[in-house]
Amino acid sequence: MNRTIIYRILTGLAVISALPGCSNGGRETLDLKTEEDLHGLTITTSAGNYYDEKYSAYDDINIFRVSFEADGIQAVRQGMADVFVSDEVALTPEDMDRLQMKMAFRGEESFDVAFAVRKGDLALQEALNRFIEEGKADGTIDAIISHWTKGTPAPEMPAPSQVTRTGKPLRCVTAVNLAPVSFVGEGGQWMGMDADILRRFAVLGGREFQMQFQELGSAIIALSTGQCDVVSACLYVTEERQKSVDFTIPYYECHPGYFVYDGGKSSSIGFGERLKMNLVTEGRWKLIVDGLLETLKITFLSILLGTLLGAGVCAMLRSRRKWVQKTAGLYGAFIQGIPTLVLLLIMFYIILANAGLNGSVVAIITFAMCFAWSAGSIFDTSISSVPKGQTEAGLSLGFTPLRTFTGIVLPQAVKKGLPLFAGECVALLKSTSIVGYIAIQDLTRASDLIRSRTFDALIPLLVVTVLYFVLAWLIRVVLNLFLKKK
Amino acid sequence: MISIKHLSKTFKNPDGSSITVLKDVNCDIEKGEVISIIGPSGTGKSTLLRAINMLEPPTSGEIWVDGENIMAKGYRLDKMRKKMGMVFQSFNLFDHMTVLENITYAPVRLLKISEENAREEAMELLRKVGLAQKADVFPDSLSGGQKQRVAIARALAMHPDVILFDEPTSALDPTMVGEVLSVMRQLAKDGMTMLIVTHEMRFARDVSTRIFFMNEGIIYEDGTPEQIFEHPVHSATKAFVNRIQKLVYQIDSEDFDYLQIRTGLNQFFLKYNLSGKAENAYSIISEMLFEHLGGIRPLTFRITFAELSGETALDFMIEGASASPVKDPAALDGIRKKAQAIVEEPTARGFRIKILI
Repeated sequence: MNRTIIYRILTGLAVISALPGCSNGGRETLDLKTEEDLHGLTITTSAGNYYDEKYSAYDDINIFRVSFEADGIQAVRQGMADVFVSDEVALTPEDMDRLQMKMAFRGEESFDVAFAVRKGDLALQEALNRFIEEGKADGTIDAIISHWTKGTPAPEMPAPSQVTRTGKPLRCVTAVNLAPVSFVGEGGQWMGMDADILRRFAVLGGREFQMQFQELGSAIIALSTGQCDVVSACLYVTEERQKSVDFTIPYYECHPGYFVYDGGKSSSIGFGERLKMNLVTEGRWKLIVDGLLETLKITFLSILLGTLLGAGVCAMLRSRRKWVQKTAGLYGAFIQGIPTLVLLLIMFYIILANAGLNGSVVAIITFAMCFAWSAGSIFDTSISSVPKGQTEAGLSLGFTPLRTFTGIVLPQAVKKGLPLFAGECVALLKSTSIVGYIAIQDLTRASDLIRSRTFDALIPLLVVTVLYFVLAWLIRVVLNLFLKKK
Repeated sequence: MISIKHLSKTFKNPDGSSITVLKDVNCDIEKGEVISIIGPSGTGKSTLLRAINMLEPPTSGEIWVDGENIMAKGYRLDKMRKKMGMVFQSFNLFDHMTVLENITYAPVRLLKISEENAREEAMELLRKVGLAQKADVFPDSLSGGQKQRVAIARALAMHPDVILFDEPTSALDPTMVGEVLSVMRQLAKDGMTMLIVTHEMRFARDVSTRIFFMNEGIIYEDGTPEQIFEHPVHSATKAFVNRIQKLVYQIDSEDFDYLQIRTGLNQFFLKYNLSGKAENAYSIISEMLFEHLGGIRPLTFRITFAELSGETALDFMIEGASASPVKDPAALDGIRKKAQAIVEEPTARGFRIKILI
C-alpha cells in the first residue's frame, strides 16, 4: 500500500513538472513607452502600495493585487496580467533574462523612500533621522544601497559582539520580500538594503535586529498596536500615509519600473537545476525544515491543548445544568461562525495584542480554541453513541460510576470517535497554513519566502504539498496505532 | 434479605407534568425465593426492579438489603450491587469484549480473582448455559437468545446472592425464548434467589415460589402461583391471568389477502410458541374460508389463545346470520377429525363456528 502511495506521488510529480508552469511560448511582447500606454491593460502590483492606490483611480486599468511581488512577476509570465509595476531595482538584469522579463520603461516620477515609525514615537524617529543623516554624510548608506543594487563591496559592519546590548530588540517588519530591498537569503538571514540599513542602526544602538515579513496592511496595524517598531517597505512618503504613521527622513530615491513579459528571451532551466535553485542554493532547504518544525510545533501543541480544553467542552455539553450546556453551545456557535483566519487576526491584533506573547503562542491558543470545540463535540457524540445499557450493565455488576465510565464506556467511545478525531487533527494541520498572516514562518510561509527569492512557484509549492500530505498521513497512522492497541 | 417499605417513584416530564409509576410498594424477599412479577404494561414492574438496585433511584420509601438501608446517604451502592446481579431485556453485553472477557471482566477487577481462575470459572458457566464454543467470539455474532444466556453467565460470575431479571425474553425472537427460559429454570432448581419481571405466564406459574401481581403502582396481589393463577382474590388479577391473546381479521370480499392473514398467523404462532399447531390450523382455515364459508361475506375470523390454559381456538363469525351456513353437518366431519371440538352457536352479532385446536 505504501508503495502505491509513493508511486502516485512520483507520477503526480512527473505530470506537474511537465506542465508549462514557467514558460509561456508564443505570446507577443508588449511594446510600452509611457504610462499612457497602460490604459486598457492589467497591471499587477503588491496590494496597498503606492501604485495600487495610484492606478485604482483609473477605470480602464485593471489591477491584479498580490501579496508577494514575486507572484506579480509570475502573473505576468502566466499571462494573467500584462505589466508588473514596482521599483526599478526590483529585477536585476540576470533575473530578467532568466524569467523572460524586461523593463518596458522607467517611470518619470521619483519618490523619497523612508522608514515608518509609530505615530508619536519621537525618540526612535529622531534616532533614525540622525543615523540616516550621518550615514548619508559619511557615505555608508549609499555604499549599502550600491552594494545591493550594483554589486559593489559592502561597507564594513561593526560586529554585534563588539557592542554591548543595552536596549530592547529592534523589531522591524517589512512588506517587501524581494531582492534587493529585503529578502531571506543565505541561512535564513534577512538581507537587502533595507535590512542592512536597519541592522546597522540596531547594532550601533546596542540592540538586537529582528525582521519579519507581513503584508503592508498588517504591517501598519502591527506598528500602531506596538507589535513592531519600524516598518520598512520601500515606503514612499506620501501625505496620505503621514496621517497614520510618522516617517523618517528619506534614505533613498526611487523610480518606478514597468516590467513586461519578453517573448524574445528563452527560458531553458532544467528540472534538476530548478530543484537545486529552490532547495539547495543559499541553504533554502533550511527554511523548509524550520517551517516544517514550526508547523509541527503549532499543530502538535494546539492538538494537545485543544484536546484538554475539548474534554472541558465535552463536560459542559454533558452537564445537567442547562445554562452550562447553553454556554458551551454559544461558544461553539461563536467558533464555528468566525473564519479561523479572522479569529487569528482578532486574537493577535486585538485581544492578545498587549499580552506580550509571541505569534506562535497566539496561534497555538487560537487553534486550540477552535480545536477544543470540534474535539469536544466529537467526544460528546462518541460518548452519547455508547448505549445507556452499557453504563447500566457496568453499574449493576458493582463498578462505581467512574470506573464504569473509564473501563466500559470510554473504550467504546474512543473506538467510535477516533476516526473523526483524526480527521479534525488533519484539518487543524492544514488550517495552520494561515499563520503567515501573523508573521510566523511556518511551512507555507517558507514556500512563500523561497518563491519570492526564486520567482518559481512550482517547486516550493510542490515540496510543501508533499510535506503536508505526508504529515497528514502520519497523523492518521499514529492515531490508528492507538486504536489498534485498545 | 430484601425488604421494601412504602416505595414510590414519580417521573417528572420535561413539560413539568409528572407520572407516578410506583405508589406504595411493600414487600419482603427471602433467600431462595423465586418471585415472578406480572401485571399489565405500565404498572411499574420494571421500575420496581430497577429501583431495588438503585439504577432508578426511588422518590421516597425505604429499601433494606441484608439489614442495611441502601437509600441512606453515603451508602456504597457499588458494594451492594456486587451481590445483586441483573439481567436486562436488551442484554447489554459489552460489545468491545469477547464473550469470555464479558464474563471475566468484573470478577477479575471487583472480586480480585486471578485472570486464570476467572477464565476457568467463566468456561464452567458458559458450559452451563451451553455456549462454551462461543467463548472467543464477540457478542455481535451471537443470536439474541445466546446473548441473553451470556448475560446470565456474566451475572452469575459475580456470585450474587440474588439476580434481578428485567423482562429477559421480551426482546427475543419467539424461537429463542425457550433456550433462555430453560437456563433460568435450571437456576431456580439450583436454589438461586431470583426476581423476574416477565410476560411468560406459564413459565411464571411453573418456576416461581411466589408471584407478585402488580397493578396501578402497587403490589395488588401477592401469593403462591396456585393462589394467583387458580384462586385469585381480586377481579383485576383474575382478568389478567385469564387474559386471552387474539388476532382478528375482517373478511369483506372474495378478494381478501389470504397471504397477509397467513403472515400474521405465522407470527402469532411463533410468539406464543404454538408452531406445533400451525399446520393443522392452516388446513382448517383454508378449508373453512374457501369451501364451507366460500361466498359467505362479510365474516370475521379470529384466532384466540388463552395464555394460562393454553386453549387455542379458531373463530368464524358470520355477521347477521342466525343459522349455520353449513347446511350439512357431515360436511364438517373432516375438520372435526383435526380439531379437539367444534361449537356452533347463534350469538347477538351473528352465527359463530368455534373450532378448538
